[in-house]
Amino acid sequence: MTLLIGAWTIGLILSLLALGVFISFRIFDFPDITTEGSITTGAAIAATLLVQDVDPVLATFAGFCGGLLAGAVTGILHTKFNIHGLLAGILVMTALYSVNLHIMGKSNVPLLSAMTLSTYAEQIGTNVLGGAMNVSLGGWEVSTRDAAVLFLSFLIIALVGGVLYVFFRTNLGTAMRATGDNDQMIRALGVNVGNMIILGLALANGLIALAGALLAQYQGFADAQMGIGMVVWGLASVIIGEALIGTQSLGLTITGAVMGSVLFRLLVAIALRAGLDPNDLKLITAVFVFFALILPNLLSNLKKRSGSASHA
Amino acid sequence: MLEISDIRKTFNPGTPNEVRALQGVDLTINDGSFVIVIGTNGSGKSTLLNAVAGTFLVDSGTILLAGHDVTRWPEHRRATLIGRVFQNPFSGTAPHMSIAENLALAARRGHRRGLGWALQRNFSGEMQKRVYRLGMGLENRLENAIGSLSGGQRQALTLLMATWLKPKMLLLDEHTAALDPKSADQVIRVSEEVIARDQLTTLMVTHSMQQAVNLGDRLIMMHQGRIIHDLQGAEKRRLRVDDLLARFEEIRRGDLLDETAAQMLRRMYV
Repeated sequence: MTLLIGAWTIGLILSLLALGVFISFRIFDFPDITTEGSITTGAAIAATLLVQDVDPVLATFAGFCGGLLAGAVTGILHTKFNIHGLLAGILVMTALYSVNLHIMGKSNVPLLSAMTLSTYAEQIGTNVLGGAMNVSLGGWEVSTRDAAVLFLSFLIIALVGGVLYVFFRTNLGTAMRATGDNDQMIRALGVNVGNMIILGLALANGLIALAGALLAQYQGFADAQMGIGMVVWGLASVIIGEALIGTQSLGLTITGAVMGSVLFRLLVAIALRAGLDPNDLKLITAVFVFFALILPNLLSNLKKRSGSASHA
Repeated sequence: MLEISDIRKTFNPGTPNEVRALQGVDLTINDGSFVIVIGTNGSGKSTLLNAVAGTFLVDSGTILLAGHDVTRWPEHRRATLIGRVFQNPFSGTAPHMSIAENLALAARRGHRRGLGWALQRNFSGEMQKRVYRLGMGLENRLENAIGSLSGGQRQALTLLMATWLKPKMLLLDEHTAALDPKSADQVIRVSEEVIARDQLTTLMVTHSMQQAVNLGDRLIMMHQGRIIHDLQGAEKRRLRVDDLLARFEEIRRGDLLDETAAQMLRRMYV
């Protein structure tokens, strides 16, 4: 059960990553690789501040701001210096690797004794439950800490998802969606497309860094390598979400990305439990995304072929 | 008022693909005037429109619009003064967003876009009223995605969006060329209505001789990046399709002489 609770929690935390990837890949159709650096940046900033006894909420917010900055730099490289989007992301991601090491001062910052959002949640949970170490969740005994952290993650994701939904229905957010949908049209309506892309990438990477900051506090350390493979991970979550509940409306898509992330993490946890070699995880994730990308074309081709066969 | 003086634009200068698209165009359009632009393929008529819209910056010359020197303004800044409808019906609307959202975007053309709610409740009445006037039955489908509509419907909506806030200048770039005849007629009718009602200063490029004759109070004909005819007032009203065809024939015959022969003839006889 602890394994499942853990998978739920990490799935929820990484759904912020999925939302960030959703903004850059789906709304802007921008293949933003900055992700792999910015998630670590969020973790590095939060962890470094936490070991210096900074308030966890403040440290987490600082991590978010680090991501904003990283995304903005990618956007500026792309729009002001006309660097290809993919390359702009690669440049910033590479630069961030050194930046992250500088922030942390070493390649790994443990948070064992630091006061984090997780310990916060644990304290509040213990107080609410009158000091009980375990709590019954749908018949299962789980530790108060795990339950409280899961609950807090859920609250944060619900809040961020809600804010994001509202934002994308404001004048600014609507213009941002239109920029990805038809940039010629939105330019003719007086919107500076370059600035929109910078703002959108900043927002996306802010969310991704927030995921990193929360992940570091949940797993108890920040690591320079933790960003590797995160773009594909986020994409897989978004694709699962779209397959689950479709893209008819904004609310559904955002909910889908969160659900996709949780489901994907659960599947991975179950597969690992069943004996999957953890070393193969990224390979399998990549293959999964590959099939998810080609499947729609493959299916329509098959349909066409069977259609023409019946006519012959 | 639009004042264009001696604008020039060469694409791909110094390469084999060099195109001298505008070779010194002067044009002054008074407020409320509806100007039709015609010309052969590659004559520079769409380039002229795009130069005004700011799709590219001109090499030389100046463009004044409503008292502003917009020559160096980027496209999105000029959009505060200009409404546009493109040739391609897919260009003017965001397909994955609803009709209502597209209109809400247009209602803030040239204004700051902050964190106010995009779809204000008090806005929907105005939206229904204006969409109803298009006569396409779209007023009850405001929540539908624009991508589900036909080209004619999208073009009519684009026109509504371009004129939602009265623009200082309306640019129509062959906006019915990609439509079937029935939709084209519908869009032309809607265009005439809105231009007349709001007395919009309009520059419209068209391929259709019928439209060129029936619409507008002034007609300019372009050839090889220059304005070669400028008809207004009674002369424009008297104009018939046959007259236009005759002028095109004239151009065609002129083009049969190559440049060196033309120079030789000019030296000998002019």
